[in-house]
Amino acid sequence: MGRKYLKNLDLTLLVTALSIVLFGLVAISSATHATAAQGEDPFGFVKKQVLWVVLGLVVLWAVQSFDYRDLSRYAVWLYVANLIMLAGVLLVGSTRLGAQRWFALGPFMLQPSEFSKVIMIVTLASLLAKREGQLLRLRDLLLPMAFTAAPMLLILKQPDLGTALVLTAILLGMLYMAGARPSHLAGLVLTGLVVIGGALWAHVRYGTWIPLKEYQVVRLLIFLDPWQDWQGAGYHVIQSQIAIGSGGPWGRGLYNGSQNQLNFLPEQHTDFIFSVVGEELGFAGALVLLTLYFILLYRGIRIAAQARDTMGVLIATGVVSMLAFHILVNIGMTVGIMPVTGVPLPLFSYGGSAMLTNMAALGLLLNVYRRQQRIIF
Amino acid sequence: MVRKAVEQRSRVLLVLVGLVFAVLAGRLAQLQLLETERFQTLARENRVRLIPIVAPRGEIFDRQGQKLVGNRPVYTVSLVYLGQRDLHAVVEGLAAILGQSAAEIEAKITERALRLFEPVKIARGVPMEVVTQIEERREELPGVVIDAEPVREYPYGALAAHVLGYVREISGPELAANREKGYRPGDLFGKDGLEKTFEEYLRGKDGAREVEVDALARPVRDLGRRPPQPGNNLVLTLDARVQEAAERALAEAVNAARRAGHRDARGGAVVVEDVRTGGIVAMASYPTYDPTVFTSYLSESQARELFSNSDRLMLNRAIAAGYPPGSTFKMVVAAAGLEAQKIDPEAAVPDPGYFPLGNQTFRDWKPGGHGRVDLRRAIQVSCDVYFWRLGLAVGIEEIARVAREFGLDRATGIELPGETGGVVPTPEYKYALVKKSLDRQYKPKLEEIEARYASLLGQTRDPETRRQLETEKQKEIDRVLARYNSHSWDLQWQTYDTLNTAIGQGYNLYTPLQLANYVAAIANGGYLWKPYLVQRIVGPDGQVVKEFTPQLLARVNVRPETLAVIREGMALVTQGEGTAAGIFWGFPVPVAGKTGTAEVHGKEDHSLFVAFAPADDPQVAVAVVVEHAGHGSAVAAPVAREVLKAYFGLE
Repeated sequence: MGRKYLKNLDLTLLVTALSIVLFGLVAISSATHATAAQGEDPFGFVKKQVLWVVLGLVVLWAVQSFDYRDLSRYAVWLYVANLIMLAGVLLVGSTRLGAQRWFALGPFMLQPSEFSKVIMIVTLASLLAKREGQLLRLRDLLLPMAFTAAPMLLILKQPDLGTALVLTAILLGMLYMAGARPSHLAGLVLTGLVVIGGALWAHVRYGTWIPLKEYQVVRLLIFLDPWQDWQGAGYHVIQSQIAIGSGGPWGRGLYNGSQNQLNFLPEQHTDFIFSVVGEELGFAGALVLLTLYFILLYRGIRIAAQARDTMGVLIATGVVSMLAFHILVNIGMTVGIMPVTGVPLPLFSYGGSAMLTNMAALGLLLNVYRRQQRIIF
Repeated sequence: MVRKAVEQRSRVLLVLVGLVFAVLAGRLAQLQLLETERFQTLARENRVRLIPIVAPRGEIFDRQGQKLVGNRPVYTVSLVYLGQRDLHAVVEGLAAILGQSAAEIEAKITERALRLFEPVKIARGVPMEVVTQIEERREELPGVVIDAEPVREYPYGALAAHVLGYVREISGPELAANREKGYRPGDLFGKDGLEKTFEEYLRGKDGAREVEVDALARPVRDLGRRPPQPGNNLVLTLDARVQEAAERALAEAVNAARRAGHRDARGGAVVVEDVRTGGIVAMASYPTYDPTVFTSYLSESQARELFSNSDRLMLNRAIAAGYPPGSTFKMVVAAAGLEAQKIDPEAAVPDPGYFPLGNQTFRDWKPGGHGRVDLRRAIQVSCDVYFWRLGLAVGIEEIARVAREFGLDRATGIELPGETGGVVPTPEYKYALVKKSLDRQYKPKLEEIEARYASLLGQTRDPETRRQLETEKQKEIDRVLARYNSHSWDLQWQTYDTLNTAIGQGYNLYTPLQLANYVAAIANGGYLWKPYLVQRIVGPDGQVVKEFTPQLLARVNVRPETLAVIREGMALVTQGEGTAAGIFWGFPVPVAGKTGTAEVHGKEDHSLFVAFAPADDPQVAVAVVVEHAGHGSAVAAPVAREVLKAYFGLE
């Protein structure tokens, strides 16, 4: 280790990520200490999250330590393992909140769909790297699409719409960097949006069949007009906007937001953690967090651009796509411009599987960074 | 790998990411910088609840300052809207604990659907066990709030229930009628008696507590408080001691009469009035009810028992039931005779015990008659023959005029809801009454004929048959009309109607309050006071809000000498041969009175007694009616004696 090791480490990325994690711990403590029941440790959630962070750092170190290029050899196995894991959770997984997403591992609940995101990034990168320059025709895109569709369908079956959409975002970002035509991709996205939008519209208007449960349809559409069902489906969305809006420019003070502390905010330590930041730290606090995320993504894109080989480019792109999509959908949901899909805020929301996944993803970025070609002029 | 392409594409990616962040930051700026105020208001509405503090109603005191109606705190259970979905489960749980139906509770919630942030009152007067049960199941019952709230308390129990009235939750129509006065659903509202009449004075002004609540509507801390303002107190003319005596004596008289075989003796009334002011000292109606039942949840069967009971518990017989006055009416006839100068009060006439009218003979209540009687003695022994003769001599118009002078034709205007006026018989009254019943009897017959022939005529077109049918129809109609017209004699006022009226039978109908007020006017020399119950309205701070002084309805247009003679006759009733002499034998205060026995068609007679005392310096008038209890002196007079005993503090 020593100097050389540090020199090959993207310190900016790591420090930014750790800042986000620390910020998250503060937000979690505010979101959970007031609602902890009598006799419960008010910092129980924070302590558990710290444990996940430490575990995550171990994973990060492990992931960045070997050469990512070796991974393409195991890509097939990884892919198959992923499918088995996802099928397994459908067979023997635990059900919570109406979805079969978890493996119970002692006191912990592991969510394989989280890990599948990182696995997809690696395996898809390996697949596309071999087809560099051969993605110019529309039909060339069929294989990577099918390749992604298999795990995606299993995830949809749970059902976990959010994660399935994340895979789509990863696929699109990586195809673009791998050289697919932007017009093809834009066409695909547009077609997808039209088909999904049309299906939803027809379903709401004429009751046609749709491969979604009714509550998912309601959740998807409620953000358009949450007040029409402000006691029911719109409740989360409205309370979140009230929290953020009432925070004003400077916030109501840490540990002092009534929406958070009096529990009007739902899921305030997981999916709606950003609303706590918005309420208690205001526009200023929210902007700090957004800036940290932007630095993170900027570093990610830089790593992609300077990667040694195509696989490196694609892995970094996959990670950036994943994180960017998470941030957009999660924060967008809390401010009411995105549907409620249950996507957590990366490195910030309370939750072990997501923390491990995101740490692994950062590990991949660092891995690619370490092995980039130093061009010496 | 084409480095250049990768770099170019990564720049596009960076722009895209930048765009995402710009959109998010823009939206945040909109919510947090531009719409802060709106969202801060919404956040405040979320967490701050105004919980009303119910103001205690004004209390009610008797003339001695004894508290008749007070307040005591009870537990109430309310439900606060939570913005949550599983309200139904909470309602079900609550219904099980409270023993109400879930539908009933849900109806209360829907009623208030437009005022979501105010708690909905589900039950009042909840016992401690139930409160404990709810507290134990707090977690399953989010939004259920237990508060203390004042409800009516009656230190004397059922005493004067009909006068005081009762309060209950305001009804839909009452709410609609009083919306601008600031009533809310669930508020208490005076439903009867003084509680109803003086609602606007008795009602206090609710205060409020501003409380910060969490998402489950559990209070977290108090933010502020506006204290409630109690209502105004009433000070009555009623005397609790006399009222108690009246109610006890009345109940005993009714029950004793029933035990003695008078099966229909189930009710009665007593009114005690100050002849110098019109102030009501006691007003009793039997059977009665305990207004305390209205302070807690009333089940369907309890409510039915109260409101549709065959004995009509809720009816204030003293003001809302008309009774034939029987011989207590004779003073009216005596006054009419003296005013018309048809008699010399000193002249005695022989009473053979009967009175011939055409081929009929009217018999006095006492076989063989009372010997020679003058006016005073006629009142003393209640001689029917004397008053028959007198009645015929003065005529119905004059009798009716004097009855009206004493206010017997109209409600007195006492400050109680539901008072009815009396019926002073006149030829016009009889005509209208009989005609109404004849019409009721004959109209269906005529209609039936019309209908029958209409269908018969509809079946044929043959002009010959039709003509025949028309003739038959006309014949039938004529036959019915002939029978109808044969009753014309019944429509006319007949001599025997005058005779009946003269002894207080026939169409006479007066409330006990009217009788008391009429006797008071005799006693005080012709002042017809407006009976009243409330002397003073006093604010919670002790300041007099309103003072009520005696109000003269009219001077009775009868000469003082006339009234003096009648008073002398009434004074004799409790002496010597008087009809109530035995009952008042040895009574230390001279009492002037008059017994009455009112015949009721198909049932036993009502027993009546009216009196004033002291006979020589009248202070109070008393009227007693005991339904279907037989002879006046036997049942009603002892009630009056007990009342006067209490009034004069004898024992």
